[in-house]
Amino acid sequence: MNSTNNIPGPHIDDDLKWKAKIFMAFIFCLFTVLLLRLLNMQVFKGSYYEGLARNNRIRIISIPAQRGQILDRNFEVLADNRPAYNLMVMPEDVSDVSSIAGRLAEILECEEAEIIEKIKEGKKRPYNPVALARDISFYQMASIETQLYTMPGVSIDATSERDYVLKELSAHALGFLGEISRRQLEAFGPKSPYAPGDLIGKSGVESICEETLRGTKGVRIFEVDALGRKIHVLDERAPVPGKDVVLTIDKRLQLAACRSLGGRAGAVVAIAPSTGEILAMVSSPSFDPNLFLSPMTPETWKEIIEDPMHPLENRSIRGQYSPGSVFKVLIAALALNSGFVTPDDKVYCPGSYSLGDSTFKCWRKEGHGHVDLATALTQSCDVYFYVLGERLGIDRISSFCQDMGLGRPTGIEFRDELAGLVPTREWKQKRFKEPWQKGESVITAIGQGFTLVTPLQIAKVMSGIVNGGKVITPRILASTQMTQERNLNIRENELAVILEGLKAVVEADRGTGRAIKDPRFTMGGKTGTVQVVRGYTSKLPDQSDLPYKIRDHAWFFGFSPVENPEILVVAIVEHGGSGSAIAAPVVRDVIHEYYVSKGVIDEQVCQDNR
Amino acid sequence: MSRYARITDNIDWGLISTVIGIIFIGLLCLYSSSRVTNIAIFYKQLTWILISVLAMIVAFIVDYRVLLRSAWPLYILMVSGLILVLIIGREISGARRWLSLGPLGIQPSELAKVIVIIWLAYWGEQKKHIQGYGIRELVTPALFIFIPVGLILIEPDLGTAGIVALISCTLLLLLGIKRSTFISLLVLALSGMPFVWYSLKDYQRLRIISFLDPSRDPLGSGYHAMQSKIAVGSGGLLGKGFLEGTQTQLRFLPEHHTDFIFSVVAEEWGFAGSALLLLLYVTLVTKIMQIGFKAKDRFGTMICFGIAAYFTLHLFINIAMAIGIFPVVGVPLPFISYGGSFMLINWICIGLVLNISWRRFIF
Repeated sequence: MNSTNNIPGPHIDDDLKWKAKIFMAFIFCLFTVLLLRLLNMQVFKGSYYEGLARNNRIRIISIPAQRGQILDRNFEVLADNRPAYNLMVMPEDVSDVSSIAGRLAEILECEEAEIIEKIKEGKKRPYNPVALARDISFYQMASIETQLYTMPGVSIDATSERDYVLKELSAHALGFLGEISRRQLEAFGPKSPYAPGDLIGKSGVESICEETLRGTKGVRIFEVDALGRKIHVLDERAPVPGKDVVLTIDKRLQLAACRSLGGRAGAVVAIAPSTGEILAMVSSPSFDPNLFLSPMTPETWKEIIEDPMHPLENRSIRGQYSPGSVFKVLIAALALNSGFVTPDDKVYCPGSYSLGDSTFKCWRKEGHGHVDLATALTQSCDVYFYVLGERLGIDRISSFCQDMGLGRPTGIEFRDELAGLVPTREWKQKRFKEPWQKGESVITAIGQGFTLVTPLQIAKVMSGIVNGGKVITPRILASTQMTQERNLNIRENELAVILEGLKAVVEADRGTGRAIKDPRFTMGGKTGTVQVVRGYTSKLPDQSDLPYKIRDHAWFFGFSPVENPEILVVAIVEHGGSGSAIAAPVVRDVIHEYYVSKGVIDEQVCQDNR
Repeated sequence: MSRYARITDNIDWGLISTVIGIIFIGLLCLYSSSRVTNIAIFYKQLTWILISVLAMIVAFIVDYRVLLRSAWPLYILMVSGLILVLIIGREISGARRWLSLGPLGIQPSELAKVIVIIWLAYWGEQKKHIQGYGIRELVTPALFIFIPVGLILIEPDLGTAGIVALISCTLLLLLGIKRSTFISLLVLALSGMPFVWYSLKDYQRLRIISFLDPSRDPLGSGYHAMQSKIAVGSGGLLGKGFLEGTQTQLRFLPEHHTDFIFSVVAEEWGFAGSALLLLLYVTLVTKIMQIGFKAKDRFGTMICFGIAAYFTLHLFINIAMAIGIFPVVGVPLPFISYGGSFMLINWICIGLVLNISWRRFIF
């Protein structure tokens, strides 16, 4: 039987044999093609497809970490978190983009094209949900929620949103959050803790404490099917919430300063002179930092950016002003400290001072007569300080200023501080290609001329004088250690003279700041009025007749109590007019609030003069 | 020797074992893929296999030469079925392909694939005195093949229509076409097709495609093809293991129990598994060809060659589609894809081949 097994049928002729062979060869070719292709796909490119398969089914969702709160020195909340709803979409899971975009646009009251654009953009990072809208209203959330089952890929995330409880009243100190920029994102590299659309501190405390506040994102890895439905969670790492940051700011003083400044352009800095702790930091005009959390309309952004008053600038650390008469305190301290004058030395003020061909006027035309140092401070006698300026010379003045911390950032935690300017001979030569003139030393001594300071620098320098010479770096974070930069060791009797003069500014009958005298606490201070436009006398009775832009800047710094001061406040009101009339009441109000909050005086009694 | 001993001795057990091997792999994969969607599919398939084995035994026992007499009745049955399905067929996603037969659905177009083979082999038997057909002789078979192909296109079922046409062409070639006729027909077809196709506008081509096969949208099939390629490629050398294919288990792979079941094999059993399956299929086709070669008459030989073409075309198109070298058309994988009619026809073919193989010893 086996003999017949391989015998072809009798009808098989050569032609059919040949055709059958070709047919078989063809079949083998087809199978070879399949086999080679399978070999290539499964063996040589297997890992490539394996990666594709993994992306197909594994979704990694990051769980945002709750940002730390920002608290004031009494643990009162300044920057809080409140619950919010974000509208998210997984672009890969959206089957009908235009229909979903249309329905969402109607609910969100935005352009359909905008949503389509965002979904398209999101596809560049596969399987990453995209935030279509942040912080949607409860009503919007509810109406989307009811349609959610007809919109695959769309989801609503319950998250928390920053809430700056004081709104514009603490904007510059706290700073604000904004979406991370592409450049920042690139700087972090591949291991970036941020994803596009994440919020990051853009300025102020939010920026300097970003790493503390941020926390660590959690991750949820789960398996999905082709419809994007969760099958099961493979792994989960809970987010680590950010740590709270405690500031040295006192919310009540901050509010008092804002209230007192009342929206006028300027800045207020309150500081504890013996420790360098900032108690209040106000810059005006301000802005609502909450606006920056969600993408703002180009109009709003333009309005803020192009505002001629520059509301985004923190004037307390970035506003550079001529110091005016406030500077005289520094000259007095220097002259005493270096032995160029004794407390009892008197200078005759006839109302002007001549040096060579030039005549320098005292603000009081009729002159102050014979004045000693304390009186000169109290009455802000210009001639007395012209004399000191000439005697000291610019080299001593500038070197002392630098010792005290002028001409460079104060060292507060903020990184965007400006340095101000301390003029020197070298600087003048370099800047103007001209040698230093003696007359320039004279006007420098009364705080006019080239010198530029920020309000915080004045707070630091004046603290350094009233605390007896300890130059302490200002700080706004409770966690920052106190740094004493140097100690000038102002002798006690000399300090007493300065303090006496400054106390008399407020308390003596002829003091320039007598209008703010308050019987319930002792207070010292110094006025300053800076001419913005030369040629106008700054001593017009009523500056409100002048155009705003050419009105004088009003300075005042005050401290209390006079012996061992606990609080020192610097205020500047741009184009405010005279320091005594405009800036001094702001300082008084903050110091007043300080005593109210300490329970030393009764709030009811003192809602009077402003 | 008893009669029964002779029957069993001359049965081609190698062919049967090959088919059983394929069936086994197929059931593993069908279990794996139907588990996540509808396990009832698996049990339905088991039932169909039992029915099919019975049908195979019938196809084996009845002398295949009976088919010579019943070629025309079968042809008429086929055409009636194809017309009937257009009238009373169940419409599923825009296509009428199924006839309800009690609880079972029958696809007359599947039946057509094998009846066309029988009819052509019968026709060749009538014209066996002619050495190489010319155009004149080819008009009749072309017409009689065009009728079922056209009816299947109306359903519409592009894949099946194409398979029927291709099987017919192969068989006609094997039966013998004059060299000159063959060359002129080939040149005509090759030069005509692209000319016709490119003379069409894009939207017309799209319209033709969707007219022929509206149940598959072109974008959707791109997705299918991609997911299938991912499934196959990610299987790697040794596969992800039984029930471990993520593409299948997570339903990324569409049609994973019908047209794309090869991807399940490749994903869960890797290159090793898919190469083994290919080997089994090559063995199957080679054995059928050998049996055809040894058949005692030309009718049997042609039926075997037709069946070999039938399996080869299904295999190649189905697998090529799963691995992304052929457009997505609805062609199932023999013995593995889910589908009652298809399974039944596959087994009837095997029954016929065994029949032809066995009967060459009976004189």
